[in-house]
Amino acid sequence: MDRTSVKVVVAGGFGTGKTTLVASVSEIPPLTTEEILTEASLGVDDTTGVEGKTTTTVALDFGRITISPDVVLYLFGTPGQDRFWFMWDELAQGAVGAIVLVDTRRLDSSFPAVDYFERRGIPFITAVNRFFGECAYTEDEIRGALELDERVPLVWCDARDRESGKLALITLVRHAMARLRVRA
Amino acid sequence: MSSETWDGDDESAAGRFVPLYVLVNGRTAPRDSTLDLATQVVALTVDTRRLEPEYLEIVRRCSGWISVAEIGAYLRLPLAIAKVMVDVLVEQGYLAVGTPAQQKIIDKHLLDQVIAGLERL
Ligand SMILES: Nc1nc2c(ncn2[C@@H]2O[C@H](COP(=O)(O)OP(=O)(O)O)[C@@H](O)[C@H]2O)c(=O)[nH]1
Ligand SMILES: [Mg+2]
Repeated sequence: MDRTSVKVVVAGGFGTGKTTLVASVSEIPPLTTEEILTEASLGVDDTTGVEGKTTTTVALDFGRITISPDVVLYLFGTPGQDRFWFMWDELAQGAVGAIVLVDTRRLDSSFPAVDYFERRGIPFITAVNRFFGECAYTEDEIRGALELDERVPLVWCDARDRESGKLALITLVRHAMARLRVRA
Repeated sequence: MSSETWDGDDESAAGRFVPLYVLVNGRTAPRDSTLDLATQVVALTVDTRRLEPEYLEIVRRCSGWISVAEIGAYLRLPLAIAKVMVDVLVEQGYLAVGTPAQQKIIDKHLLDQVIAGLERL
């Protein structure tokens, strides 16, 4: 009797469509859970005893896809604020990789996410959420703005569309596999 | 006590302060460090009569495989607390643990299965 978990992180700046993407591919309506942030994780000096310690909480949404009777894929959206990096570490731990959503109206809002996965060597792809169907930039311009390595896949997507979300997920898993092969 | 709120997105600053002593059995982290928010657990068929209500509620949620994150969401427990409580239940033989998500030994066979599963969606 066993059950294997597979994890995918959905990252990107605020309003790039993370929750929308999780909702469109998840088999259950996205759930929200809270994580406790300790003072240490927020970088506050610890000068008090245990009883005096306080923490704050951060909410995160996630969804699930049953792959087979033995395997379930969990998709976790990152909290949007940069001061919660410690939460990203927990989400990224053991993950196959990440989908970084990009909103072409604010390309720079996804730069911290690209930089985070790049630095840690975690496989990721970028999914450009087209919102209103128009995109003012070419793929090269987006790659340039995000300083994307040429090996990082870029797909166009509509986060509201299940097929589009599926394609982004499949692209990510294929990319992660290709990297495994390179490493071996 | 000061308080601050943040709802997980940047539009408002949400969140509330929770004293750390609410953490269970003096533990602030699970002993099993592989217990991740995506790790799934399932109830074993053992006598649960001696369990405290908060623990019993978790065991009841685990009649089928369920992740730590789902337990936290359904029972409205902060993840850190859900993790420690699940860890206690595993240690005491009430729950069995599945294979956690793991990047380092991820195998091609598993990823092939994932792609096939996604294509079937
Ligand atoms: N037109 C359009 N709107 C979208 C799309 N994706 C997300 N939205 C909307 O953009 C807003 C922000 O999306 P959300 O998923 O909450 O972003 P998050 O902050 O990254 O979780 C919501 O109002 C969504 O309905 C899209 O592909 N097209
Ligand atoms: Mg969101």
